[in-house]
Amino acid sequence: MNKTRLLRLATDLIVIFLGLFSLASPFFFTQARDIDNQAASFPIMVSLIILLCLMIVIFEAQTSLLDSKMIAFLAVLTAINAGLRFLENAIPGPGGFSPTFFLIILSGYYFGSRIGFLVGAMTLLVSAIITGGIGPWLPGQMITAGWVGQSAILVTFLVNKFAWRGKPVEIILLSGFGGLWGILYGAIMNLWFWPFLGAGAGQTFSHNAGALENLQRYVAYYLATSLVWDIMRAVGNILIISIMTASVLKVFQRFKQRFSFQIQGEPEQ
Amino acid sequence: MIKFTDLTFRYSLRSQAVFEDVNFEIIPGTLTLVTGASGSGKSTLLRCINGLVPHFSGGIIAGKIQVFGSDPIAEGVEVMAHKVGFVFQEPESQFVFDVIEDEIAFSLENAGVPRQEMERRIQEVLQMVRLSPLRKKNLSEISGGEQQKVAIASALVTQPLVLILDEPTSQLDPISADEVLKFVIELKNHLNLTVLISEHRLERLLPYTDMILNLNAERRAIIGKPQEILPLMDQVPPIVEIAQRLKFSPLPLTPATFPQVRLAHKPINQIEKHCKPQDSQPACLEIDGLSARLNDQLILNDVSFNLHRGEILVLMGPNGAGKTTLLRSVLKMIPHSGKVTLMGADTDNLQFAEIIQEIAYLPQNPNDLLFAESVIDELKITLKNHGKDAEGLDFYVFLKSFDLGHLGDQYPRDLSVGERQRTALAAVTVHDPRIIFLDEPTRGMDYDAKKRLNFLFHHWRQLGKAILLVTHDVEFAARLADRVVILENGNLMFCGAPRTAFTEFPAYQTQTARVFTDTGWITPDDIPPDLDLQ
Amino acid sequence: MIHSIVWMIWLLVVMVFILSTRNPVYLSLILVGLLFFGQSLAREKKIKNWVLANLRFLLAMILLSTLINGIFSHVGQTILFTIPQKWPLIGGNFTLDSLVYGAINGLVIGALYILFNVINLALSIKQLTWLIPRAFHPIAMMVTISLTFFPSIQKRAREIKEAQMIRGNPMKKIVDWLPIFIPLLVTSLENAFLLAESMTTRGFHQPIDLKAPGNLVSLILGAFFVFSGWILQLFNYPRYLSAPLFVIGFGLILLTLMTVGKHSKITRYHLEEWKPMDIMITIVIVLYLVLFIYLRWADGMPSLNYSPYPYLSIPTLQTIGLLFCILPFVPMIIKRHD
Repeated sequence: MNKTRLLRLATDLIVIFLGLFSLASPFFFTQARDIDNQAASFPIMVSLIILLCLMIVIFEAQTSLLDSKMIAFLAVLTAINAGLRFLENAIPGPGGFSPTFFLIILSGYYFGSRIGFLVGAMTLLVSAIITGGIGPWLPGQMITAGWVGQSAILVTFLVNKFAWRGKPVEIILLSGFGGLWGILYGAIMNLWFWPFLGAGAGQTFSHNAGALENLQRYVAYYLATSLVWDIMRAVGNILIISIMTASVLKVFQRFKQRFSFQIQGEPEQ
Repeated sequence: MIKFTDLTFRYSLRSQAVFEDVNFEIIPGTLTLVTGASGSGKSTLLRCINGLVPHFSGGIIAGKIQVFGSDPIAEGVEVMAHKVGFVFQEPESQFVFDVIEDEIAFSLENAGVPRQEMERRIQEVLQMVRLSPLRKKNLSEISGGEQQKVAIASALVTQPLVLILDEPTSQLDPISADEVLKFVIELKNHLNLTVLISEHRLERLLPYTDMILNLNAERRAIIGKPQEILPLMDQVPPIVEIAQRLKFSPLPLTPATFPQVRLAHKPINQIEKHCKPQDSQPACLEIDGLSARLNDQLILNDVSFNLHRGEILVLMGPNGAGKTTLLRSVLKMIPHSGKVTLMGADTDNLQFAEIIQEIAYLPQNPNDLLFAESVIDELKITLKNHGKDAEGLDFYVFLKSFDLGHLGDQYPRDLSVGERQRTALAAVTVHDPRIIFLDEPTRGMDYDAKKRLNFLFHHWRQLGKAILLVTHDVEFAARLADRVVILENGNLMFCGAPRTAFTEFPAYQTQTARVFTDTGWITPDDIPPDLDLQ
Repeated sequence: MIHSIVWMIWLLVVMVFILSTRNPVYLSLILVGLLFFGQSLAREKKIKNWVLANLRFLLAMILLSTLINGIFSHVGQTILFTIPQKWPLIGGNFTLDSLVYGAINGLVIGALYILFNVINLALSIKQLTWLIPRAFHPIAMMVTISLTFFPSIQKRAREIKEAQMIRGNPMKKIVDWLPIFIPLLVTSLENAFLLAESMTTRGFHQPIDLKAPGNLVSLILGAFFVFSGWILQLFNYPRYLSAPLFVIGFGLILLTLMTVGKHSKITRYHLEEWKPMDIMITIVIVLYLVLFIYLRWADGMPSLNYSPYPYLSIPTLQTIGLLFCILPFVPMIIKRHD
């Protein structure tokens, strides 16, 4: 494996490992949250670590992926997707219905994990800038949306392995994937708020309260707050993806050749 | 000096070359007009000069290029950016930033020019294109012509030796187009630039052209003085066409240089075009006192005219006169006051679905409509939208009248610009509407595409359809208008015979009318073959 | 306009203060200050109901965290009522202390939210893009282009929608959006290609040396150092172990970014000038920070560490603490004074 590929793999793994770990850390670090002062800075530290992860991925992408064509390509996709985010209010769909994800998933599915990651992360960034809604949880949103795109490559592996391209199964898989992320996204985003709201920090736990009990509490908290919202988002994703995928993939196919001409390193697929 | 030696280029996946064995030399300080039909490879050729071909586009290139001592094939685009400035066709797609001065600074930032120097050069170039007071303005707030001036300024700020413009005015209205081209000429002389410009509307540039480089259908290039090359070209401006018919030599390039034409006697077959062409034909659309507002501004003010069956009505006027607003008001897309009667029924009482059953609309960007996998699918979709049955309809026959008979199964976006437009037209008229609105259909079209559009219009007229055509293209309109309506500032300035419109209003005079004053001839076809000259 | 870096410094210091305290009085005061400051900025920008919108979020947050903490956490002396233990998770004492604790949590997160909203008001979009370090020029370019294209894409979407509606598209179900989305996607991607051409023609190039993986490696290393420092801190290892790790990590990252930035020969046209007002604000804020660090280190500033556990009490206040609550007003005062 040559150096570039190695580095790229390292970057991907770091982003997943560090990021997930940071977000899931409340489950493991019960004892750490006993100190009052820590509990407040905890989410900020998590955001900071996530920010560093984002920085690393973007830096790597800049050296190998982002030539003028890719920049323009990503910029345009991001602008479209950011626009879709505003449609959330305009479309008379169920609440939590978010048309933003299908483009992220399809980009990741068709063009590769890094492009999928960038489309996801950048969509959140650009729409935050446009709406003047940059908040301390933005890195968390960016990396989670990035994961949505990055993980689509799992579907690619499956489809390639069983030669399902072009068959209805492909669309079913992608829709299911979108549905899954509809819920997962909300679950992960809530992890950021969790230490504040329901971790019950600052008091002594019963000593057998380990990761499992915390998980239970978290699930209960999640159920109470955003599950309904996320289920609607999941349903929305399934609907949109099943309708839009075939046509969008065809468009991607026609553009792939034009835009991939000067990508350094190996092609994504 | 720019020199091409035996240059051949083809794209990687195609076997046919875009052009072969191209040889020419361009003298510094000259203006060269690059011509050829759409898809003939003009754009590709121009992009070889600054290295976009092959570095950006890919493909296989053979031969040698020399541009003022540099070899673009070897050096690449970044190096050539110092010597060659490039202006593209679509103003909006060229811009990275939203503010004018930032956009102009972009080239300097990339070149690593220090800030003081940047400021000086930006000021200088803004003064040259006379946009200094607008420097902090948003690019979306200025007109298309001004946008192209900004693009030119951005290209010139690096002080290049060569300026290339690829169809810079095709998206602009005639007034803006003239302004932009005037600037290019001024700048060329002021800065002693070598300019290459590709254009369809040759008439504006011919007087200033030193050389014409023509790419013909055989993918070969010929270069020479305008007088030599024009006779060899398939598509020439009306002036040249007239001159050719009257066998003038050398060919005059502008109405001004056209020799004074005095006719032996008054022409006998004057073409009479009445204001109401067919009184027997009923009016299918009656517009009475139409007024419309947009954002509290009065866009249309008490406009009244009628549209009859079998008639082509041309709607003209400067930008912002309210032409598109008029179309949208009739279609009930925006609120309006006044009465609109469609096929005898007041549109206030009609549903939107009923209105669009009878009126088809081709938007300024026909690409906006195309999304299906094949041309025929596009037709089927419209039929489905209108709840019409697709059974038993012979699509191929229908497409033949659009000159698309052999393209039914093609993916629409792979087609040429003209073919795509006609696909869109076929798609919006497949449900047999009686009225067709077209908004600036000749933008970016070459003569060939315009000719085919012309045929289509005549075909429709024969079928008894009514056409409302919004256009800036005076020459095109003159060839087929039955009646002309001119709007200015939302008011109806003129409604009447084409002959009057295209001879008596200076802004809308055709070249033919300018040469043959007092005859009422407005197109070269009006001139009788046996003309007697003094 | 205040320099963007000054805003960042202000943001940092206020954030540090908010995160260092759980004293509800301090937090409320800071909140009020922020709302006041935000309102004056919002008025300048002619945004209505800014305070109202933020208050709404704040209250929702406080309510949510109060309830959740009350339901799940059963520690505390002031018992309100008891739910039988056999109920999973929520069984146990329902105490006032935990409600208060939850409320304070809500205050903290609310304060952070409003703090960031003030920054959103203060910084223009252009300033936000200028803050992106030069090492990230390509992505900054991507963001800029995205922002530039956004309005034209919206406009195009509207035009396409109109054209398709006139063609008969009923625009009722999701499927009806396909004829709008696909042409929009295709046209936009075509425009992207044209834009890339235009950029390349004007000399845009990848500024970062492709063959030097060293930069990326040092960034990754830096991140790991920071991460390790954080882990140590979480497990309550002494400060003198975790702090150096932080320093090394951040130092490595900053150094790498600066080096990469220096290598790129791209210059920038816009330069924010440091006005006397900017320098003054910075000095005042830095003084605050230094004072804060000193006091924390010296006597711990006990009024910061309020806790409703083990029993509810009235929070103590120190004048010094109240002084820090004026932080939000500093830029406003100095700006007015200018």
